[in-house]
Amino acid sequence: MPAFLDLDRLLRGESTRPETLREGRVDLSAPRLVLATLVCGAVFGLCLGLFAATGETSDGAWQLLSSALKVPLLFLLTLLVTFPSLYVFATLAGSRLTLLPTLRLLVGAVAVNGAVLASFGPVVAFFTLFTTSYPFIVLLDVAFFVLSGAVSLGFLSRAVGVLFGDAAQGGSQGRAKLVFRTWLLIYGVVGAQMGWLLRPFVGNPAMEFVLFRHRRDSTIFEALANLLRDLGDGWR
Amino acid sequence: MDDGAPAGNAGRTRPGPTTARTRARVGRLVTRAGLELAALLRATGPYATHDPTGSRAATRGLPAGSAAPPPVPQARLALVVATAGALHGAVMGSFAGPLGALYSAAKIPLLLGLAPLVCVPSFRVVHAVLGLADDEPAARRAVLCSQATLALTLLALSPLLVVAYASSSRYHVAKLVNVGVFALAALAGQLTLARHYRPLLRKDRRHRLALVVWPTLHLFVALQLAYALRPFVGNPRFPTEFLRSDWMGNVYLDLLWSLRATLG
Repeated sequence: MPAFLDLDRLLRGESTRPETLREGRVDLSAPRLVLATLVCGAVFGLCLGLFAATGETSDGAWQLLSSALKVPLLFLLTLLVTFPSLYVFATLAGSRLTLLPTLRLLVGAVAVNGAVLASFGPVVAFFTLFTTSYPFIVLLDVAFFVLSGAVSLGFLSRAVGVLFGDAAQGGSQGRAKLVFRTWLLIYGVVGAQMGWLLRPFVGNPAMEFVLFRHRRDSTIFEALANLLRDLGDGWR
Repeated sequence: MDDGAPAGNAGRTRPGPTTARTRARVGRLVTRAGLELAALLRATGPYATHDPTGSRAATRGLPAGSAAPPPVPQARLALVVATAGALHGAVMGSFAGPLGALYSAAKIPLLLGLAPLVCVPSFRVVHAVLGLADDEPAARRAVLCSQATLALTLLALSPLLVVAYASSSRYHVAKLVNVGVFALAALAGQLTLARHYRPLLRKDRRHRLALVVWPTLHLFVALQLAYALRPFVGNPRFPTEFLRSDWMGNVYLDLLWSLRATLG
């Protein structure tokens, strides 16, 4: 499948060779990498949904299906929300990348995120068989999301470093690099909150299946703090 | 800059002629939109300010010896301000519901368009007094490009606003996020204005004064206009209205009275 051949080239670093990046070129096929990301996201989504599917609730299959659809959606929506402002501010800062190469670079980062996340899928599935603790599974999944996000941001940071690295620090390319690195932070925060808006991904066995459980006036950061507290209560 | 097809097409199924044509057309359209936006933000190509000192901003990126492209018509820039402003307004006002979205979609282009229009006469007089009347059309164009940047940046930040609205129903949070969005967009507008002013500053240092006068006057008028046109976000606890009953009030006097009341 060409999409996975492209993903393989990307992971091996063949698509982001320093010599091509230095010329301001990003030799990636965005549509094929988006397809690969969708498949990888769906695979990890299925592994997330397993917790509900193997539980005692009757609607576990729905959770399995909805997680497989929502994880790819999470990647694409986060990119959609953050890309326009990144492009405007990077161009204002003097980035020499035009619209499509900028988009290709970010799609590449999201594809790396999806691939790393999918590779953690079997680990999640394995732990699903050995625990009934909902907070544990949720925190494990969050940890994998954070890890895969960090790997993809590392990829983007390296690529940006090569793309703008030749320019003197403080020059226009130095400023563009700063904008990209600030974007990494915004992407992470928006991605986390987007995940919160699209929840449930795992499916709390004590609650009935719903496609979206979002209630306004809550953030993922408050929820994670509460989960950590619940986990601590379980140990006492 | 590479916008062409990437390498590594081995094993790919050849698309039908209609699909290929449509894909190529969409690709060209997206590439052109991206290049136009980049030219506006970088003040190059058809968006470059006329440079009397002979800088090559208008021909940057073109083959050597190419003629400068004709400048983008001001009407098109105004259309960009109106369209991007209306779209952002619709997102901004959606906090109060569909009617709020409709009202703000009408009011943001008014805010972005009317405030500079009110300042145009003073702008012309300031240039005439400074002996810069010949450069006034180029300066006016720079201001229009800056307004277009502001509107497009607002539009680019709109998806973030959607996420913020979906995450919180608190009115004061929505207001604060919108203040942040406007501050960022205003910063982008100022950066573009400074970039478009560079050739004028190279020609005559007196443009530096005009560059200070314009944002100050514009801010002064825009704040009052924003006060008159409020609400933009709309508190969902109150009925949605196009203008508040006290829309004829003065923002500066209101601030002064609030300050006096606070200090007792």
